[in-house]
Amino acid sequence: MSTETENIESLVNRRYEHGFVTDIDSDSLPPGLDEGVVRAISARKNEPEFMLEWRLRAYRLWLEMREPNWAHVHYPPIDFNKISYFSAPKSDKDRPKSLDEVDPKLLETYDKLGIPLHERARLAGVAVDAVFDSVSVATTFKEKLSEAGVIFCSFSEAVENHPELVQKYLGTVVPQRDNFYAALNSAVFSDGSFVYVPKGVRCPMELSTYFRINAANTGQFERTLIVADEGSYVSYLEGCTAPMRDENQLHAAVVELVAFEGAEIKYSTVQNWYPGDENGKGGIYNFVTKRGDCRGANSKISWTQVETGSAITWKYPSCILRGDNSVGEFYSVAVANNFQQADTGTKMIHIGRNTRSTIVSKGISAGRAQNAYRGLVRVMPQARDARNHTQCDSLLIGKDCGAHTFPYMEIRNPSARIEHEATTSKISADQLFYCRQRGISEEDAVNMIVNGFCKEVFKELPMEFAVEAQALLNVSLEGAVG
Amino acid sequence: MSVLALPDKALRTAVRELPENALAANRQAALARFLERGFPTTRLEDWKYTDLTSIADISQRWLESGAPTATAASVSGRVEEIRAVVGIDWIVIGNGAIVDGTHIAGSEGLSIATFSELKHAPGYEHPLADLNAALLPDGLHIHVHAHSHHDRPLGLLFVDGADSQPGVTQTRVFIELDEGSQAQFVEYHASIGEADHYANSVVELSLAKGASADYVRIQARDGGHTQTHRTAISLQASSTIRYSGFDLGGRLVRNDLDIDIGGKEATVLVGGLYIAGDGQHIDNHVRIDHRVGPARSEQEFRGILGGRCRCVWNGKAIVQPGADGTDAEQSNHNLLLSERAEIDAKPELEIYADEVKCSHGTTVGQIDDAALFYLRSRGLDKQDAMRALTRAFGASIVSHSPIAAVADHLTEIVERRLTALTEDSDA
Repeated sequence: MSTETENIESLVNRRYEHGFVTDIDSDSLPPGLDEGVVRAISARKNEPEFMLEWRLRAYRLWLEMREPNWAHVHYPPIDFNKISYFSAPKSDKDRPKSLDEVDPKLLETYDKLGIPLHERARLAGVAVDAVFDSVSVATTFKEKLSEAGVIFCSFSEAVENHPELVQKYLGTVVPQRDNFYAALNSAVFSDGSFVYVPKGVRCPMELSTYFRINAANTGQFERTLIVADEGSYVSYLEGCTAPMRDENQLHAAVVELVAFEGAEIKYSTVQNWYPGDENGKGGIYNFVTKRGDCRGANSKISWTQVETGSAITWKYPSCILRGDNSVGEFYSVAVANNFQQADTGTKMIHIGRNTRSTIVSKGISAGRAQNAYRGLVRVMPQARDARNHTQCDSLLIGKDCGAHTFPYMEIRNPSARIEHEATTSKISADQLFYCRQRGISEEDAVNMIVNGFCKEVFKELPMEFAVEAQALLNVSLEGAVG
Repeated sequence: MSVLALPDKALRTAVRELPENALAANRQAALARFLERGFPTTRLEDWKYTDLTSIADISQRWLESGAPTATAASVSGRVEEIRAVVGIDWIVIGNGAIVDGTHIAGSEGLSIATFSELKHAPGYEHPLADLNAALLPDGLHIHVHAHSHHDRPLGLLFVDGADSQPGVTQTRVFIELDEGSQAQFVEYHASIGEADHYANSVVELSLAKGASADYVRIQARDGGHTQTHRTAISLQASSTIRYSGFDLGGRLVRNDLDIDIGGKEATVLVGGLYIAGDGQHIDNHVRIDHRVGPARSEQEFRGILGGRCRCVWNGKAIVQPGADGTDAEQSNHNLLLSERAEIDAKPELEIYADEVKCSHGTTVGQIDDAALFYLRSRGLDKQDAMRALTRAFGASIVSHSPIAAVADHLTEIVERRLTALTEDSDA
């Protein structure tokens, strides 16, 4: 365990204190997108022919698609030809030498988070596959995982070493033509993580990846594929941080999960990409497609997310409940402060018999932020005895923010039992007064009440994430009261 | 060009051939807008679940046959039937033309006139309202004078139908309630005739300060007929609307209920019941816009679905910035009786103020087996037990309908519809 810890410590300490621009020489492609760029990305990654073909098909589909505009968010049009679609660090050795390069404001924020990464990693024996810009630069714990037969590597490595698995599963959950951003991702995705858990194996540790966006104007197009074979179990953690930057950056990731009979995948995310400053300047555009396919009977996919970052979030982790008795879960806390805009939720598609889904969504709006829940529960005609319960609560802090709910229910089987409830409220003066009267500062009182509001979701997070999430929430809401 | 456009030339001719009156200029302007946009398509969020292709098709065939004024020999029969069972004062609008009811115009505190007499140009900002304004022969204007109270409900009977060629009719009513007035309205949609028919109607209600209106809308069209209907209600301070809508008939029915709260302490109570059987598609879109607060809105819709049918319910409450003290509640409950029924429900909240209390709840389910067993164990046969339970499900809407004069008739037609539905689903 100690060597493992050191590994992580050295890896993490080398350069990971959120929120700085690592000034290294990125091997970037010039901005712009055409078939040449797609071919160049594929060539640079030494991909086999099938990958190139797959990317080109996606690119051609993308050309015919239109940018979606149905989300409850507003932003200036994105010029896709001003984005550079590939950026890789030239060498592992180019690390920032000191913290002086870091924006002190952000450092302060992360101090307040109070949880050093290495400690977080040590707490759970987390294996870290750090995606630095677009190329995976380090993977640890490989041995222990390979003993169990678990494949956990960067997407590029998977293409190289396990092309048959990639070819078999890539795009089977989120096809290239799925949506505008998924098509774009399919054409130009740079790297990401790949996990395969063989039959009957319970993955011996929580798997974790940290993404960060680096190099100005580089869109981050990650692709993650997790396959849990029959009777296996895996818990995957994803955390995001991003450096301070004034220009908006595009992040269009795709995550695909496949769960076979009796398998379970737990996917947890803490997302705190740079949200822009108090005046709404800068910040990440986070347009993500995440979908899980419960392909076998009795399988289960559970999404838990804590979304506090990004200027604009557009994200709907979904479950296709194909197998009989399969279970889908979605637990979400979405916080939007200042000028942030979030349009997030989930889709539960009931296809198999006796499928169950639970949705718990907690939205918190503060400042001038707009926070929307958008969810779909669809029960297909053959899905006998489907069951869904949705609870979606919004908390408003301040006069200028907005909280919105757009739940869709499409029910085609009479045996379905569907319940949806939603409430919107603010922190009441009574609650605050009660806390203040007992000597708790207003800010602490708000944090306490908000944490209580989100408890149902936090308890679903792996322990180390739960601790961080609470701290993150407090930081995110700073300045919201007063 | 939209796939659901209508042929330009034929449409222009149809507009030109309408009776020459004060609406002519307005028709042209509305026509230009409609030609630009055509019918809304399923690519639009608000029309995602309702495809107007069949309506566009009826309209096209109607234009091709020279856009005749729809006539059905049996329309008057249907009017008499309704008159016989609901004893209130009716204004009859047959195939878009005001045919009867002017005798009421003399009532105290009430004026009734046509749009052309008043030179009232109907507004248009939605594609279907455009179409309505473009093809409207004339509209009906009802004015309830300030502080006048009317205990006797006024009925608006929209009867349409065509016997041989496809028919399209446009109906428009504007109701203005002055300060402190009170009135009750029953709006009844019926149709008859063998040919395909599309009815497109717009009803606008404007409630001044302290005005109060009770409103019941009953839609009992013939099984083969289609309808798009828009109701726009605007409320000033301390005004109250109690509205109930019942959808029992029609093949393809879309209702838009748009309520605009522009004054403090306004109250909106909306109830709705839709009962759909084989081949029916009933879509109810409700939008309540709280522009100022404090104000209260409540809406409860219930649906009973049998056979191969599809119902859509979309309830939206918007709380605009500064509308503090808003209390908005929406609920929607659905009972599915058949394997082939589909419900698409979407309760939406858009909130831009923080001193608010908003909630919504939606459920979809079937008849509880335990309840069914209980009733059967008490000697009811399955069909009676089913009927009792479905009746109970819809009862809260029927019994809260605000106008007593139509209560018996409503109970009877709901009962009849449910009987047909439970028999079908049993088979």
